[in-house]
Amino acid sequence: MLILKVVALDPIHGYGIAQRLQQISQDVLQVQQGSLYPALHRLENRGWLSADWKTSETGREAKYYSLTKLGAKQLMLEDKNWQRLSEAVRLVMKAAR
Amino acid sequence: MRWAQRLFKRGRLEHDLAKELAYHVERRTAELVAEGVDPREAARRVRLEFGGADEIKEACRDARGTRWVEDFLLDCRYALRTMASNKAFTALAALSLALGIGANTAIYSFMDSILLRSLPVRDPESLVTLSWRMRSLGRGEKGPVTVLRAMSGSIYKAPTSGLMAEILPYPAFEVFQKNDSVLSSVFAFRRAGRLNLSIKGQADIASGTYVSGDYFRGLGIPPAAGRLLIPDDDRAGAPAVAVVSLGFSEERFGGAANAAGQSILINNVPFTVVGVTPPEFFGVDPGVAPNVYLPLHANLLLEERAQAAYLDQHYYWIEMMARLRPGVSLKQAQTVLEVPFHQWVESTAETDRQRSDLPSLVLREGGGGLTTLRRQYSKPLYLLMTLVGLILAIACANIANLLLARATTRRREMAVRLSMGAGRLRVIRQLLTESVLLAALGGALGVLFSIWGIRFLTLLLANGSDNVTLSAELNWHVLAVTAGLTLLTGLLFGLAPAIQSTRVDVMPALKEVRAGRVRSRWRISLSHVLVVSQIALSLLILMAAGLFIRTLSNLQSVQLGFNRENLLLFQLNARQAGHRDAEIASFYADLQARLTAVPGVRNVSLSHESLVNAGTSSPISLPGAEQDLSTRLLYVGPGYLTTMQIPMLLGREIGERDQPGSQAVAVVSELFAKKNFGGKNPVGEHLTMGGRDPRDMEIIGVAKDARYGGLKGDVPPVVYIPYNQGSQKFVGQMTYALRTSGDPLSYVNTVRELAHQADARVPVSNITTQTVQIDATISQEIAFAKLCAVFAILALAIACVGLYGTMSYNVARRTNEIGIRMALGAQRGGVIWMVLRQVFLLAIVGLAIGVPAALAASKLVESFLFGMKPNDPLTISVAIAVLVAATVIAGYAPARRASKIDPMVALRHD
Repeated sequence: MLILKVVALDPIHGYGIAQRLQQISQDVLQVQQGSLYPALHRLENRGWLSADWKTSETGREAKYYSLTKLGAKQLMLEDKNWQRLSEAVRLVMKAAR
Repeated sequence: MRWAQRLFKRGRLEHDLAKELAYHVERRTAELVAEGVDPREAARRVRLEFGGADEIKEACRDARGTRWVEDFLLDCRYALRTMASNKAFTALAALSLALGIGANTAIYSFMDSILLRSLPVRDPESLVTLSWRMRSLGRGEKGPVTVLRAMSGSIYKAPTSGLMAEILPYPAFEVFQKNDSVLSSVFAFRRAGRLNLSIKGQADIASGTYVSGDYFRGLGIPPAAGRLLIPDDDRAGAPAVAVVSLGFSEERFGGAANAAGQSILINNVPFTVVGVTPPEFFGVDPGVAPNVYLPLHANLLLEERAQAAYLDQHYYWIEMMARLRPGVSLKQAQTVLEVPFHQWVESTAETDRQRSDLPSLVLREGGGGLTTLRRQYSKPLYLLMTLVGLILAIACANIANLLLARATTRRREMAVRLSMGAGRLRVIRQLLTESVLLAALGGALGVLFSIWGIRFLTLLLANGSDNVTLSAELNWHVLAVTAGLTLLTGLLFGLAPAIQSTRVDVMPALKEVRAGRVRSRWRISLSHVLVVSQIALSLLILMAAGLFIRTLSNLQSVQLGFNRENLLLFQLNARQAGHRDAEIASFYADLQARLTAVPGVRNVSLSHESLVNAGTSSPISLPGAEQDLSTRLLYVGPGYLTTMQIPMLLGREIGERDQPGSQAVAVVSELFAKKNFGGKNPVGEHLTMGGRDPRDMEIIGVAKDARYGGLKGDVPPVVYIPYNQGSQKFVGQMTYALRTSGDPLSYVNTVRELAHQADARVPVSNITTQTVQIDATISQEIAFAKLCAVFAILALAIACVGLYGTMSYNVARRTNEIGIRMALGAQRGGVIWMVLRQVFLLAIVGLAIGVPAALAASKLVESFLFGMKPNDPLTISVAIAVLVAATVIAGYAPARRASKIDPMVALRHD
C-alpha cells in the first residue's frame, strides 16, 4: 500500500521510492532496500504498476514505475481497509484508557 | 507484461534487472559521497545496506511467477545429460516401459473404439436404444408359450436375471411412431445379411442393412453424394432404391459421384442407387459395416417368407433406436413409452401363461450404437487390459528398483546438493523430472510399439469372423490416455526412490568415498518389496498363460467325429441369383457333379451349413411322441457322410437315389437313435418333422456322432435329411465340402472357374479349409493363448532383470563382507548358497503372496476356460516351477560372481 501510495504521486524509480518512503515517514519507516525490488516486481506482475525506462535527474536511464488503473483501484481498496482498521484500533485504545 | 512474455523475454528482463539495481547502488553511493564519505567507504556501506545483489535478483525472479517453468527446463536439461551419460540404464528402462505402455495403448485403443466411442452422428447423447426384458422364453411341450413365437436375431442373458433383446415385431415400431411426445424420431433397422449384388453383370457378395425411412434423418447423417433414404422410399409399392457406403461406391462405381442413379441387381431384383453415405458412417453397430442400405420395405421384395412375417405381431425381428426430444431425460421417456408398449404387447397375448411373462420395455443410452460387439468383446478386453496393466506394474517396479540401486551411487551428489542449500522438495522435484522424462521416452517408444500391437491384435481378435469389422486407431483420445499413463508411471516409479535418496545424512554421505555403507543384512528394504511384488505379479500372468494354453490344447484335442484334414469349404447362394423351385436343386446337383469330375477331388457333397457352424433345430419327433426341441438338423446332399468321413453304424447313407419325388428319408446320429429307440434298430422306422417344412421320413441309417455347431458344449442328437426333398422354398445358401488329395487351397481357382461356368451370377464366397474354419470358432482362445504366452515371457523377463539387478547390486555392496568371509575360510559353494538363499527367500515370499492371489483371480476367468477348473493343479505347479527356475537363473549369475571374489582384492577395496 505504501509503495502504491508513493507511486501514485508521480512516476518514480526504485531508489526514489526508498528515499521518499523514508522522508515522508520521517525516518520511522526504513525500507529494507533488498526487499523493495522483489515487491516492486510482484506489483508490476500483478498489473498494479507499469514501468518505463526514462532518463533520470542525474542523466542516467532509470526504471520509472507508475500506477495503473488497476493499481489505483487496489490502492483505494487498501486505503479504505486501512482507515477502517486504524479507526477500530483507535476506538479500542481510547475505550481501554 | 504477460506471463508468457515474461517467460520468453527472460534475457531482457535479466538485463533490466541488473541495470535497475546498479542504478540504485550508484545513486546511493553518490549520495554518501556527497555527504562527505570517502568513496571506497561509501561503496562498502552501500553494499552492506543493500545486501547481496544476487539474493535480491533471485527474489525478483521469484516475483516474476515463471520460476517453476525455468526450473523445469533446467531440470530437463540436467536430466537429459544424466540419461545420456547412463545409456545402458536408459535404454533398458525405456525399452521395458515402452513394451508396457505400448501393450496398454494397443489394448486401450480397442477398448476405446469398441466400448467407449460414440457413433459418428449428430448429437449421439440424445440417442436411445429400445430393448425389452422378460423372465424366460419358457418353451413348453407344445412350443413357445410366450408372445414371442418366432424370432430372428439375438436374445441374451440380462445382467441380473432373465433375458434381454433388442428385436421387436413391426407393429411395435408403429406403436412408438404414434407415441412421439418424447421422441423426435424413431427408426428401425435389421441386418439383411449377405446379399448378391450384381453391377453390370458382375456379381459379388455384399453385406446389407434394411433401414426404416427415418433412419438417416433420425441419426442426422448428411449424404456424401446424391440423397439418403427418406420415409417415402420406405412404403409398400415405392420404387426400389438403395444407398451404398462410400467405400463400396469407390470400389464398385469408381467414386461416390458416379454411384447415384446407377442401377444394380440385388438378389436378382433391380434397384436404383440414389446416394452414398459419408466416409465415417458405419451404421449403428460398430461390429458391422454394411455396404448397402435398403428401405425396410425392400425386405418384402427380397425375402419370400417376409410376406407373412412382416406384420406378424409374434415375429420379433427388427431393432430400433430413437432420438429423445430436447430436454427429455431417458427416465422420462421410459415412463412415457412403457405404458403404450405394455398395452400393445398385452393385446398380443392370448393365454394367461403368456400374460404372466410379457416383455417389458427398457430404454438405454444409444450414443455408442448397438451392444453386440460390446457384449462379445468387453470381457476379453477387460481381461487383457488387466494383464497388460500388471505387466506395466512389473515394469514400473523394475525401473523403481534400478533407480533405487542408482540412487545409492548418487548419494554423494544428493548430499552435495542438500548441503549447498537445495530444498528437499526441490531435489525430489528434480529427480521426478528425470523419471518422468524417462517415462516420456518410454511412452514415445510405446506409441510406436502400439501401432504394431494394434495391427497384430486386429488380426488376432478378428480371426475368422469375416462379418465383424474391427477397427481401432490411435486418436487424440487414446494418445491423451497414453500421455496420462506415461506421466503416472513416471511419478509411480520415481517417487519412492526420489524420497529415499533425499533422506540422506549429509555429513557421513559426504565423507564417504564410495557407496559402501554396511547395512544389516536382512533389513527389509524397499527393493526387496519391489522384487517380491514383481514375482507375485509374474506368477499371476504365468498362471493366466498356463490356463489359456491348456484351454486351447483341450479344445484342439476335442474329438470331432469327422476328418478335418484336406477339406475345402465354400458357400454359394443360387436363390439370390434367381434360381427357383425344382431348378435350384438341380443347379446344386449339377455343380456337385462338375466338382466331382475334377481330378484330385475324392468326394464332393454339400449341406446347408458346415457342421461346425450349423445350428438349425426343427421339431422332429417319432409319430405320436412329444416334440423334442434338442434335436438338431442338417440338410445334406448325397454322399455327405462319406465326404466328411463320418462312419455309418447301420443302414445306408443319403445317396443319389434319394430324389425330390422319392420316399423322404433321414439318417440319424447314434445319440438320436439311443435316445429315441434305446437298443432297438431304428432303420425302417418313421420320423415326422413339423414346423414350416413338414415331412414324414423313413430312417435309412445310423451315423456315428460328430461335432455339430462348435467345439464346446455337448454333442446334440442330429438328424441328416436330403436338402432336395420336401419344399424347395427353403433351399437357399449351400456350403460345399470338397475332400481333396493334397493341399485343398490349390483347388480354389478350379472351384471358382467351375462355379462361374455353372452360372456367372452366383458368386462363390467364404472359401476356406475345414481346419481354418474350426480355428475361427476358437479364435478367441487362440488369441488368448498366444497373447498370454507373450505376456508371460515378457513379465518373466522383466522380473528376472529386476531380480538380477537387485542381487548384483547386493553382491557389489557386500564385496567387503564376502571377502572377509572367504579370507576366514568360507567355501565358494557356501558363498553361492548364501546369495541363492536370499533369492529363494524372495521367491518364496513372492509365491506365498502370488499363489493365493492367482487362485482367487483365476475364478474370474472361469468363463474363458474349457475342459478344466480354474484352480488346475497342473497349471499352478508348472507356473511355480517356471518361476522358481527363472529366479534361480537370474540369481545364479550374481551368486557366481560373488564366489569369484578374490579375498585379497576385496579387502584392499577402500
